[in-house]
Amino acid sequence: MMNLKPLISYSGDNILFKSIQTRIEQALPTDKIEWKRSYGRGTAKNIKLEANFKTFESCKAQIESYNSQNFDILKDPSLHIYISECNDVETYKGTLKEELDSWLKNLATYGISDWMILIVETIDMKKTKNILPRQSVLDKIRLDFGAKNADRCVSILNPLKFENKATESFRSMIQRIRHLILSAYNKNIIKFEEIIRARREERNNEDWNFITYFLLQEKLAFVLEMLTLYSDALVQYDELDAMLNLFIMNTMYGEKPKWMSTFEKPLNNLRGITMCQKDIKETREKIVDNSITIIELRNYIFQRQCTLLNSMEHQWEIAQRLFPFLFSTLREIVEALRLETFMGTLSCWQFINCLEVLNMCDCVVGTENIIKCSQHTASIWNLAKDKLYELGKLCGLLPGSDSTSEQLHIVVQLSSSIGESPERDELEKKELEIRRSHSPSRKVQKPGCERLREALQSNELFQKLYLELCELAISTYKHVSRLRSARYVGRDLGNFYCSLNEPHKAIVFFTDLLRELKSEKWNALASQTLLELANCYKKLDDSLSYTKVCAAISCCVDLEILVRTFYFDDFLKSLKSIQPILTQSDKESNNFIQLEDNFKLIDVHLVNSSPIIQDSLLSLELRIDSNFPREVLCEKVAISFELFGKGTEAVIPPNEFDILPFSIETDLKQDNTINMVSVICESKGKVRRTSSGKNDNLPVTESNFKHSASAKNILIHPGINVIVLETKALEVGTWIMKQIAIHFQKLKFLSKSINVRNKPFEISTKSSSASLHFSDLVAGLDQSMKLFISGGSYHFPKESSIQLKCSKGLKLKKNDENDYQKTLNIKLTDFKLFEERTVELSALCELPCRRDETLIDQKVLLHCPWSECEIQIPLKFLPILTASCRLHSSGSKKFLQVIVKSLYEKNLILTDAVMKCLVNNVIITDLNPKSQNRVTIMKNISISYLYEIEAEPLQTINELPVISIEFNVMYADVNHSEVIRRYICPFDVTDYNTLFHLTVKIATEPQEICRVGTVCHLNLTIKKLTEQKQFNDLMYEVLFDQNMWALYGRSAGVVSMTDDMMETTITLDIFPLIPGFLPLPNIRLSKYMANKTNKTDNPKLVPFAPTQVYNSTKSLQIHVLNNVEQQ
Amino acid sequence: MACSVAIISKDNSPLYVLAADIEKEIELQYCFHSALDIVEEKSNTANKNPDTRDLFLGLLYATELYKIYGYMTNTKIKFILIVDSLNSAFRENEIRAMFRSIHIEYVNYISNPFIIPNEQIFSKTFDRNIRNICKV
Repeated sequence: MMNLKPLISYSGDNILFKSIQTRIEQALPTDKIEWKRSYGRGTAKNIKLEANFKTFESCKAQIESYNSQNFDILKDPSLHIYISECNDVETYKGTLKEELDSWLKNLATYGISDWMILIVETIDMKKTKNILPRQSVLDKIRLDFGAKNADRCVSILNPLKFENKATESFRSMIQRIRHLILSAYNKNIIKFEEIIRARREERNNEDWNFITYFLLQEKLAFVLEMLTLYSDALVQYDELDAMLNLFIMNTMYGEKPKWMSTFEKPLNNLRGITMCQKDIKETREKIVDNSITIIELRNYIFQRQCTLLNSMEHQWEIAQRLFPFLFSTLREIVEALRLETFMGTLSCWQFINCLEVLNMCDCVVGTENIIKCSQHTASIWNLAKDKLYELGKLCGLLPGSDSTSEQLHIVVQLSSSIGESPERDELEKKELEIRRSHSPSRKVQKPGCERLREALQSNELFQKLYLELCELAISTYKHVSRLRSARYVGRDLGNFYCSLNEPHKAIVFFTDLLRELKSEKWNALASQTLLELANCYKKLDDSLSYTKVCAAISCCVDLEILVRTFYFDDFLKSLKSIQPILTQSDKESNNFIQLEDNFKLIDVHLVNSSPIIQDSLLSLELRIDSNFPREVLCEKVAISFELFGKGTEAVIPPNEFDILPFSIETDLKQDNTINMVSVICESKGKVRRTSSGKNDNLPVTESNFKHSASAKNILIHPGINVIVLETKALEVGTWIMKQIAIHFQKLKFLSKSINVRNKPFEISTKSSSASLHFSDLVAGLDQSMKLFISGGSYHFPKESSIQLKCSKGLKLKKNDENDYQKTLNIKLTDFKLFEERTVELSALCELPCRRDETLIDQKVLLHCPWSECEIQIPLKFLPILTASCRLHSSGSKKFLQVIVKSLYEKNLILTDAVMKCLVNNVIITDLNPKSQNRVTIMKNISISYLYEIEAEPLQTINELPVISIEFNVMYADVNHSEVIRRYICPFDVTDYNTLFHLTVKIATEPQEICRVGTVCHLNLTIKKLTEQKQFNDLMYEVLFDQNMWALYGRSAGVVSMTDDMMETTITLDIFPLIPGFLPLPNIRLSKYMANKTNKTDNPKLVPFAPTQVYNSTKSLQIHVLNNVEQQ
Repeated sequence: MACSVAIISKDNSPLYVLAADIEKEIELQYCFHSALDIVEEKSNTANKNPDTRDLFLGLLYATELYKIYGYMTNTKIKFILIVDSLNSAFRENEIRAMFRSIHIEYVNYISNPFIIPNEQIFSKTFDRNIRNICKV
């Protein structure tokens, strides 16, 4: 089957053909030709062709069968060539034409149309000039035979004679041969396929035989392989494979064709595949002989498939096909055909096949291919390992067991059935070397059968191979990142180490697996692994680790309760024994266990409400679910907390935990039925996808428990426990819970994190404060105020007090006291932390005697026990009353007017107004009517009181320049008329004597009436009323309206009144400008003080007080008539 | 013919495991778990376009005893079926149909608003329905 080549027959000038045969043979494979197959069979392929040549006569037998059912596509020539050296037309007409004719007719009788006529030109035609176009022999031949096949008639220059010139024609001939071969195959394959199909249709016939059919279809595979169409060839084998499988499996349902008996032969020889051509050939001979066993046929098909896949460089597909091959063959043998096999031989067969395929995959080059391959080889390594283990078990080669004589017998039997290692011929060895040339330094693995035979020889060799296979399986799995599978191989390896009594080597595999399983929460499997680990630690006598594992096992809820309690008891037992180890190694850090394995944290929350005030009690409620099968008495349960946002932990903002705003939105159809209802979360930013990464593989470390809440001696029951932990809130800040620790004898259970709702809480202090509360204060009435004291976190002494100091004019009292005080002490007895107290106060601001309405500024100084500084509180009071006093004169009589005005929002009652003088010889007469004794006034209403004041003239001027008087009036708020207060207004009265008496008189001609434009005399009389001598020089000024009066001469003048001169009269000329009642001009009298120190300076004018000069004619009017002449 | 099924969360933890043979539950769980390797491999290397991705992952691997098939929803919930490799009744089409039925059951189950996703499934109805599909 190897070295098959398309066959070409030749006729005619055989000697000539022989002379160029080697040239053609060499030239054919130099180039590829594109082949497009009919019926859309895949894409065009480039094919390299080779050919064998035979004379037409020697292949007569095949030619004869061409058109029959016995057509053998392998042996039949695909092309028939007739070669001739005829160069002249005459010879052609004479002999060649006839010969050709009979040759073609001969072919036609067999139905063959794949022919080619080759004319070898020995004369250079171009040199002979007498040749007419279309008159060469070739042209003639084409004319005679090549009606539709002109391309089948080809001429070349004899390459032996025209070395260089012949190349061109030779190349085109080669191209033509290639083309014709392919077109022949194209036709023949279709034809052959039809034959195959016809045969297949007969498969239910009695005399149909699968083997015969197999050989037939395999021929097509050979042809396709020959044409380098490996994948098409593979399809043939796959079809045969599937067909065979179907036949065999159908025997289970009673459909057993006759030919099946071939495969019911007992299986004495269970050799694996070898990939050695010699073996393959031998097997094929057995097929032809019909002496093949099912396993040999299966091996053969798989080997052929492998060969083709190897040619396609699809080694990964070999690996991929191995398992289906193994498992389906096993099923065929065991389930369908129920063939007896010697114990273990099938395992051997599988093992050898595995290793053989692995050897094939070892030749793969290129990273991508290796990865592709490894995806399958990993599990092949694993299977090989498993099969070896089975065999080891069978033969008593496992660690710790000795082979019995029976087992030794099995070994002998197996060794013989394995078969010899294949003998490869030189060509194959060379090929293998080329395949492995990428890594020549790597040792060529021995064939699988040899390695198996070695391993079966002794325990040590078995172990060596088993460990090697395990390592290879693990590393290959890891290489293709199938970590879980790798861990499972590790588990097998761990178990093997355990049986080797090397548990320390096993532990690493089990812990790796455990970590993997725990991280993915495969609890049932994790429990199994824990049991295996417990076994290891027990063997190792590592009581600390054993204790931990026991604790974990006793908490595996998916294990039997009996198992759990057993390990729980062991846990308590071994816990007692770990003490000496701890003290010796001083490895405190080792005695903790991850809490999550044993307890499930359900909830933890603050019992107090945040913020917690410093120094107060902080209590946390912890809910945990204990998985222990029995109760455990824990010495201490604690939760540590750390300052929030300080640590390296990712800071989760507290609002992260808040409930997201969800809303429901309904989308209605037109007919108001619901189309869609959706739940919408509008807060986009807050939703954060938590990474599903496995970053929780970090080992547990104990955090700082300096800040922690704890509870002592807690009995934790199986199931849910509620534990209250307490501590004193010591340090101020925002804290977050960090870790839970449960102390149980020598062990600490530490949690990785707090993975439930964990809100930060705050410990804070609160400052003490005191403040006064009041509104719209008025002076003169009782005003209520509130003193608000908030203690905060200040510790008050048992007897402490707060002091209020008032500014002048302000007094305070407590509401329950009677007297107002300037300084008020308020006792804060038994003032507790964070207590708040309100003290009701009254304030009274003195009502000053004022004329203006401005607010009165007052202040209170607070002296608090918690502070050195005094707090100043400014207060503003509005006076409810203002008062003013005016002095009026009537000649020499004097009167006092007191005006009292209310500014108070509400009504006030004024009673008992009294004017007093404290000086003798001054008489004050009350002129107010008695009915005015009690008056009610509203805001902005003024009331006047009138008194006459009389002083004894002689004394007064000299002795009493100022008379102090005091006005008193009682007032009360209408609403609180029982509280009557006195409003005292002291006034000073000065210049209370009238010094000068002025009289103005308009004097006309006697009995004349004053008329407009008529000059009149204005007589100003100044009369001295007292004996005083101070003011002798007086200046008068006439003040008048210039629209009314006109004055002749000066309107002002100076008079000097000597001591004895009591009266003087000045006459001025004046005339009225308009008629009517005109007011008399007014007179202003001033003191005229000559400047005595410096004569050059002007004298000074000093006005008199209004009460010192009495103008008796003030406001008098004179009737002025219109001028007569004017009338 | 009975087969075993596992529903595995997006974090690769088992949500529901139904073993056809209670005796072999642990062994089957090992199979389910290691099948995740190939599920990961297939979902990484296979067609990356999620629109056209076939949820059915095909045969994940085969052992002497079992054939293990995989199916992954768009939310990365994996369904894994283990069938007896001796049983030729399960062709790929039947397996596909079973996966689809399981998927529908799972969707029905998860549509319950009181269900917390990614938590183990203890629903009796769900269990009964899956048992029906798998003929356990």
